[in-house]
Amino acid sequence: MAGRERDDTGGQDVLRRAGDASVLILTSLADGAKHGYALIQDIKGFAGLQLGPGTLYGALDRLERMGLIEALPAEDRRQPYRITAAGVVALRTHLDSIERVSSVGRLRLGLGGI
Amino acid sequence: MPGSRSMRMVESALRCYPRRWRSRHGDEAAEIACLLIKDGTPARSVAWSYLMGAARTRLVTGPRRRLGAAAAALLLAAGSLGVPLALLSSPAPANAASVAHSRTAHPRPAGLRSAELRHGGARGAPGRCDRHDHC
Repeated sequence: MAGRERDDTGGQDVLRRAGDASVLILTSLADGAKHGYALIQDIKGFAGLQLGPGTLYGALDRLERMGLIEALPAEDRRQPYRITAAGVVALRTHLDSIERVSSVGRLRLGLGGI
Repeated sequence: MPGSRSMRMVESALRCYPRRWRSRHGDEAAEIACLLIKDGTPARSVAWSYLMGAARTRLVTGPRRRLGAAAAALLLAAGSLGVPLALLSSPAPANAASVAHSRTAHPRPAGLRSAELRHGGARGAPGRCDRHDHC
C-alpha cells in the first residue's frame, strides 16, 4: 500500500491542520481497509486512546472530502474505508514532518537523535 | 445487548445528525455504539461524542456555512483593498465611495492598513472609533 506514489500536494503537509484523529485513521488504514469499529479498536491498540465515534465519523468525512481515503462497498451495515494514493503521500509527508520536529526536540532535551 | 435506556440516549444523539448523514452512516453508527457500550464505554460518553459530532457536521455542511464563507470572503477582499471596517457598516455609501477613491490615489503600506482594520480605522478620522479600550 505504501509504495512510491505520485506527490500531488507539492510537498505540503496537508494533514498539519487536519487533527490527530485524521492522522491516526490514516495510520490505521495504511495496512489495509477497515470499517469504523475495527478502526477504533486498532487505534486503541497502537496509540492507547479510544476515539469517540462522533470524532471518528467527523474525521472520516473530512478525509473522504480531501480525497485521502475512499469508501468501499458496504458489507452488511459496515462501511469499510481504504487509504488512497493521495492519502499515502499525505501521511508520509506528515510523518516526515513530525519526525523532524521529534529529532530536534530529542536533541534539545539531550536525549540524542532517533 | 446494552440496556434500552442507553440505546435510547444514543439514538437521540444520532437523530441530531442531518438526514443525509443518517441514511449513510446511521445503522453502522448505532451498531458501533452498541459494541462500544458492550465493551464497557459509558453510554453517556458515546451519546455525547455523537452529539458533538452532529453539531460539527451541521456546522460544516449547513447552508449558513456558505453565507459565512461569502461574508468572510467579502471582508477579506475589502481588507486587501484597504477599506477600513468602519466603512463597511457606514450608512452613507457615497461617503464610503469617496474615501475608497482617496485610498486608491494614496495607497498606504500594507502593515498600516491591517493596523487600521484591527482598531476599526485611523485615530481621529471622522466616523471611526477612537476608543481602543473596548476593542
